[in-house]
Amino acid sequence: MSNELTRQNLDAQSGSNESRTARETPSHPVDRYVFTPPIDIHETDDGLILRADLPGVSLDTLELQVQNNRLTLFGRVPQVAPEGARLVHQEYHEGDYLRSFILSDNVDHDRISARLTNGVLEVFLPHTPKAQPRKIQVSGS
Amino acid sequence: MAVFRWGHSWSDAFSDLEREVDSILQSVNQTFQGLRFGRQYPPINLYDLDDHYLITAEIAGVSTEDLDLAIANGVLTVRGGRTLDEGADENRYRRQERPHGTWQRSITLPERVSEDGLKADLTNGILRIVLPKAQAETPRQIPVTGG
Repeated sequence: MSNELTRQNLDAQSGSNESRTARETPSHPVDRYVFTPPIDIHETDDGLILRADLPGVSLDTLELQVQNNRLTLFGRVPQVAPEGARLVHQEYHEGDYLRSFILSDNVDHDRISARLTNGVLEVFLPHTPKAQPRKIQVSGS
Repeated sequence: MAVFRWGHSWSDAFSDLEREVDSILQSVNQTFQGLRFGRQYPPINLYDLDDHYLITAEIAGVSTEDLDLAIANGVLTVRGGRTLDEGADENRYRRQERPHGTWQRSITLPERVSEDGLKADLTNGILRIVLPKAQAETPRQIPVTGG
């Protein structure tokens, strides 16, 4: 499954690092963590490939944005267990994922593409095509 | 060391510490963070629902072909793994934070779980294992003979 996710708007995203869900109730406070997902970046001949582990994030809950040379990914993770489930043993916390990157000048923003497979986001950041040398005619008197 | 204890919950103090360590780890390079602390990978959560248990684990990048579940003698064994992108030149990595390799985790199941009814699902990198609770057996009267 792959899907193009280029340069979506991310207006709804707040700048705060810690957030809580709206479903919080006094008897069952729902803590929301915001994690920095681990990433790999490697070079290819055509550009850079960035991969991030975002388990629990689907196409519907992923937002990817480029603005002012900054690439921001925000992935929301819906609660895994159904309502009423009693957590009896916990080794990890559920949370959302947020991370941003400064893009170098030679990334072609208009051709950035991304896909999400098995909870791994893969973003392709192509190099801008090199400008061809242009002869400049010099006129003289 | 028995890592997975049924019905065991961490004390508040310990979970606070754990949370703190977790948040430190998030900002540092992450390589199988579970192993560093003698914990098993992947970390799991266990939920009790009325008629079944639910085990969840975050295993991004593992496909169903690379995942193996086996159950024997009340022990559930989950095996999986993932590789870095094949064909990518190791020297061309600018950053390498995502864990890779193979792992195995064994979980001792509680009594009164119906092993035949076990179901597993892997979606968006989250593994869900559903373990139906077995019907409680009705007490059986044992006749006592005497002289």
